[in-house]
Amino acid sequence: MSAAPKPDDFFNTKQIRRLIALMEKHDLAEIDLKNADQRVRIKRGGEVVVAPTAQAARTAGPAPAAAAPPPADSKMVIITSPMVGTFYRASGPESAAFIKVGDRIGPEKTVCIIEAMKVFNEIPAGVSGQVVAVLVENGHPVEFGQPLIKVDPEK
Amino acid sequence: MFKRVLIANRGEIALRVIRACREMGIETVAIYSEADRDATYLQLADEAICVGPAKASESYLRIDRVISAAEIGNVQAIHPGYGFLSENSHFAEVCRSCDIGFIGPTPEAMAKVGDKNSARALAREAGVPCVPGSDGIIANETDAVRIARQIGFPVLLKATAGGGGKGMRVAADDQALAPAWQQASAEALAAFGNAGIYMERYIDRPRHVEVQVLGDTHGTMLHLWERDCSTQRRHQKLIEESPSPRLAPETRKAMCEAAVRLCKTAGYHSAGTVEFIVDQEGNFYFIEVNARIQVEHPVSEMVTGIDLVKAQIRVAAGEKLWIEQKDIVPRGHALECRINAEDPAANFRPCPGRIEQIHAPGGFGVRWDSHAAAGYVVPPHYDSLVGKLIVHQPTRKEAIETMVRALSELRVAGIKTTVPLHLDILALPEFHRAEIDTKFVERWLAG
Repeated sequence: MSAAPKPDDFFNTKQIRRLIALMEKHDLAEIDLKNADQRVRIKRGGEVVVAPTAQAARTAGPAPAAAAPPPADSKMVIITSPMVGTFYRASGPESAAFIKVGDRIGPEKTVCIIEAMKVFNEIPAGVSGQVVAVLVENGHPVEFGQPLIKVDPEK
Repeated sequence: MFKRVLIANRGEIALRVIRACREMGIETVAIYSEADRDATYLQLADEAICVGPAKASESYLRIDRVISAAEIGNVQAIHPGYGFLSENSHFAEVCRSCDIGFIGPTPEAMAKVGDKNSARALAREAGVPCVPGSDGIIANETDAVRIARQIGFPVLLKATAGGGGKGMRVAADDQALAPAWQQASAEALAAFGNAGIYMERYIDRPRHVEVQVLGDTHGTMLHLWERDCSTQRRHQKLIEESPSPRLAPETRKAMCEAAVRLCKTAGYHSAGTVEFIVDQEGNFYFIEVNARIQVEHPVSEMVTGIDLVKAQIRVAAGEKLWIEQKDIVPRGHALECRINAEDPAANFRPCPGRIEQIHAPGGFGVRWDSHAAAGYVVPPHYDSLVGKLIVHQPTRKEAIETMVRALSELRVAGIKTTVPLHLDILALPEFHRAEIDTKFVERWLAG
């Protein structure tokens, strides 16, 4: 059996940055690389997903994070989609967006509309805090559990 | 033809439909629950949309989410697979009103054949024999005797409110009838609070034989011959085969024609299965219609050479069936073993868990239909089917030999499977002599 690649090879940020640079250079939208018991899949414009198999996690010592947000994000709360549909930031094309980055919101605050089967569902925040980011573009489809809005609960 | 289809299912049947679509140049949208997020077959679809948490009632059974996924996925049709929403006529109706094609029968035909009473009425209308029965509760002992004589002994008394064997008695003749009826009533009252008993002819050592049908929207209804699914445990099929061994040619012909007649009467189209039981004398009786593609459809595909899933899609797109009945000539013998994540040595305890390694068999006449891959975690939330191992050879004897060889090659590490059970059954002289009835496996397991 050939020598296994070093567990670090896929999972160090320098390597990932190199891969992203290569993708930009060659205008690739997505790459999916597998090597023995490791795998990395990168979609440009989306999140970086690093997915070791169970075997890699056992042999590589401390397991890498299952998804790769930077450590500072761990205090953030993500509002996820409770349904499948189309995401809208406002109640109509002429209306102002329900929320924008920097807004302070409470749990009852409507943060977006998800349209499903011709029904427009107002989605409440469910948390208090400050809006840090809106993760989906207006009019884009969303699936169940998809991250929609990032909120800093401490602010 | 559709440009894009959503598969409203999971596991091996989702993979089966994705494969058919890919070959037909149709784009696919798969749905998944959070428990199936890492399933490798999802990568073969053009798009995959999460429809909910693990629980089926919150994901695969959520009509609103499935339809929303179809809308954002821009599909022209939905294939419902088997189980889940495949026989839900309300779902088929919703698809129709949302202008999404449903790859299956019309909601009306589905409802007609799906209801037990309406199906029996259809059978009578089509001249298809049903298990002779009382058509209602037995009012008193005098009625019991009269009806039993009409039906013909031996008779089976069954609780109308129940199941699980409670409130059931067999009576072989007039003398046995009164005490049997009294005991059954008393037991039913105690178990279900309802003493009502109905009566059916008792079929000793029945065989389960079903007919695969296929119809289009242009008036053509065909059959793809029969499958024998008598090797069961507690009404769960273990091994299916075609042709049904020991079925007289005239019985086979009559049964297949009866199935076609019944479906035509119901206005049924697409793929479906008409189930019969066959008694030891070779009489057959209609049981029910399964208005969907079935788990064991590959058995019929192997002997007829017809891709049933592609046929469903083509028929749903409005195409005329391209085959005629006279061209459907079965060749050879096919067997299928359902490989489940269960431990036969521990009373078939389900064994969900991670498949560390999997090695699938191959070779001449071997087909492995499975979504399982190394690293795949069999979830505890759905059925325990890991894969279907199908073989096709010129004779039944050779098919059994190939199945034994293929089962021995199949390696699934990390979970327990029913492979040892299948090997044991295939070694039995009763299986070789085709002396299996629907209760055989349970009798054999009980020693």
